Amino acid sequence: MSRRRLLQGGAAVGTTLFLAACGAGGSAPAQGPAGPPRAGGTLTLGALGRASAVTRDPHGVQVNESDYLILSLLYDTLTVPGSSPIVAPRLAASWQSSPDLRRWRFELTPGVKFHDGLPLTSEDVVYSMRRLRQSTIGASRLPGIDVQGITADGPGAVVVQSNYPNSEIPVLMRLTTFVLKNGTTDPAGAPGTGPFKLDWYREGNARLVRNEGWYGERAPLDAIEVRMFEKPQAMANALLSGELDLASNVGTVAARVAQGRDGIKIVRRENDTALMVVMRAADGPYADPRVREAFRLAVDRDVMVKQVLGGYGAAGNDILGTADPVYARDLPQRKLDLARATALLDEAGFDRSQRYQVITTEDVPGLSESATLFAQQLNNAGVKIDVVKQESSTFLGQSRGKAPLYTTYWGTNDSVPYCAGKLLLSDSTFNEASWHDADFDSAYRAALSTPEPGRRIQLMHDMQKIEYDRSGYLLWGMAEGMDLAKSTVQGLPQLPGYGRVQLERTWLSA
Amino acid sequence: MVERLSGGRTALVAGLLLRRTALLVVLLALTFLAVEVLPTDAARATLDREASPAEVAARRIQLGLDQPVVVRFLHWLGGLATGDLGASARGLPIWDVVGQPFRNTLLLGALTLALTVLFALTLGGVSVLRPGRLLDRVVRSTSMVILTLPEFVVANALVVVFALWLHLLPAVTVAGSDGGPRSPVMLILPVLALTVRQIGWNTQIVRSALAEQLPAPHVDSAIMDGLPRHRILLRYLLPGAVPTIAAGLATSVGMVLGGVVAVETIFNFPGMGAVLVDAITNRDAPLVAAVVALTGSVITAVLVAADLVRAWAVGHRP
Repeated sequence: MSRRRLLQGGAAVGTTLFLAACGAGGSAPAQGPAGPPRAGGTLTLGALGRASAVTRDPHGVQVNESDYLILSLLYDTLTVPGSSPIVAPRLAASWQSSPDLRRWRFELTPGVKFHDGLPLTSEDVVYSMRRLRQSTIGASRLPGIDVQGITADGPGAVVVQSNYPNSEIPVLMRLTTFVLKNGTTDPAGAPGTGPFKLDWYREGNARLVRNEGWYGERAPLDAIEVRMFEKPQAMANALLSGELDLASNVGTVAARVAQGRDGIKIVRRENDTALMVVMRAADGPYADPRVREAFRLAVDRDVMVKQVLGGYGAAGNDILGTADPVYARDLPQRKLDLARATALLDEAGFDRSQRYQVITTEDVPGLSESATLFAQQLNNAGVKIDVVKQESSTFLGQSRGKAPLYTTYWGTNDSVPYCAGKLLLSDSTFNEASWHDADFDSAYRAALSTPEPGRRIQLMHDMQKIEYDRSGYLLWGMAEGMDLAKSTVQGLPQLPGYGRVQLERTWLSA
Repeated sequence: MVERLSGGRTALVAGLLLRRTALLVVLLALTFLAVEVLPTDAARATLDREASPAEVAARRIQLGLDQPVVVRFLHWLGGLATGDLGASARGLPIWDVVGQPFRNTLLLGALTLALTVLFALTLGGVSVLRPGRLLDRVVRSTSMVILTLPEFVVANALVVVFALWLHLLPAVTVAGSDGGPRSPVMLILPVLALTVRQIGWNTQIVRSALAEQLPAPHVDSAIMDGLPRHRILLRYLLPGAVPTIAAGLATSVGMVLGGVVAVETIFNFPGMGAVLVDAITNRDAPLVAAVVALTGSVITAVLVAADLVRAWAVGHRP
């Protein structure tokens, strides 16, 4: 990576001192027919969701894609995902931090009105963020921020105080800082400020109509109808039989069915889901870093991507945050090297007469197949592994973060420090591999408290090198996010992960 | 005499209801226990993957999962007695979660049964009046074959043919703004998927129940008298066959409710099947029990009705 790219990346990561690092549009580029978007029409879309998990609370536990999609169109967050930089303005027009990166001031976009016509003030934002912080999952959503740390600074700005220097605060604001009106106690049907207004809602299904008074660019679509689906296959069938315009995040397996069909296009969003094998680092058979390195070398990633993902993905290089502009592309791609793998296992004295287990689930398409293939490939290095499949809840309660060897996945992949803070830090919310590395922790803390972008990028590179060398992850592949759409649907989001819900620029061609 | 008879009937009904209700309560207790023995609990299962162990522990207390299962069950049962189904593990009133899906599934089930009765009586009747003829042989062998077809096979075949290939009917059912299926057309394939097997089963029963009546002397003389076929069927064969036919339909109710889970999944039908599957995934004992209570009540009602029909038919046997 050249120095120049490093600097460009640096500008992209966050803010420079006392300078708003924003302004670039966040939405993905529209693809399809040339010419301006055609206004009008109703987009009927399918999204996955479970009837019993339906929630209308933007600060609640959102398991359903359908709910998250509806909420994202009705309510605005302070910032939204972008491609480069990865944070784009929304309710916050700009932001700046104190020199120590603890105090962040977000200037609100002027002229924002709720769906009922009342203007947005900083009190609404403070109320909503405090409500989020006090929710069941508030501590994981706003790490390092206390309720008292969220305050208004006049009617047009809010201040967020972090308990430690954190250059990534604007990234944290992207996902769930949905703003309700000050004092809203029942969020069902409560007015938001988003690009669409609620027409009706019933048990996970909804119809939304364009918010003519939105402060952003006018959305081309008149209305969006969201239909909830329990299973990807039923959703794909509905699209193929013409009942849907868009099947959102239908997955690689269902999308394959639509290959080569007339009038239907497959939208591929790269870097959507990281697929990993977790090797427990704290104790047990994989505590020796040489064993973990051997496992990483015993896997043929290209074959995994081809067979498990049907080619809809890319080989991983054991580092999380592949869509981040600071992602360390200069580290050599790990490849199958059985000779080196066996040598490392011998060196570490790994007991190959025993049988081992890899725990897996069917939580995302391909996960359990990846476990089977992983076990077969490890057999080539003389390691005998049995695949144990667990049902989702059982896995979460019994195996995640506890079992010595298991498969897992991760869905927000456009930020190296975000992934690190959630999964890799010694005291992170979910240290899946029980990996404790003092060098990594200090590089992370230094990166987050370094205002100077060039230096910060260097520190993030150091983090990634350590992660590459020693972490408990074998990140073999990045699955693409797959949507199916009628060929008349244009301007669909191309961003990975939750970027897929940004439908305010989507339109229907004739 | 009349008084004694009606008193006896009331006692019969009361006894039947009491027995069936007691059975249902036992079933509900077993449901709570079954959810309890599953690995992990509702606190973990209803929080998202990123929740920390501390957040899970706090939710465990919030949901009252620190209390013994017996206490939780009795508390829930007490609420049920007053018509309160309680709250789901996600904090929603259970009636809000199951109310509409229950109505949707009832609609699906009722249409399935109505169609089954219509086809089974027609086919069984037509077949029994022409014993050994081609039509009889076709009905008997076809009904035997379709009786063995699982609902998910029929459902998938219907989707492929009528939705994906011919583009005649919708592949899925989606709920409209009133919570029910958006269009009546959406009911056709799910109902057919559930009905095909039940037609097979009930046609067999209807045919043999009617055939059993054939040797009866009064039927014999009616045939000798040259009465029209439909008259023989309706006036002479059917009354005696009713108890068996009613029992067959009652077992169909249980089979339909079993098939509903698979069929609803394939058609994305907004019914009880999805609620039940989710509730088990969520380790949500009150919600699972509510589903069992509601479907159990329906089955109980149908079984009691079938018992009464049988009692009535036996009392009125010519």
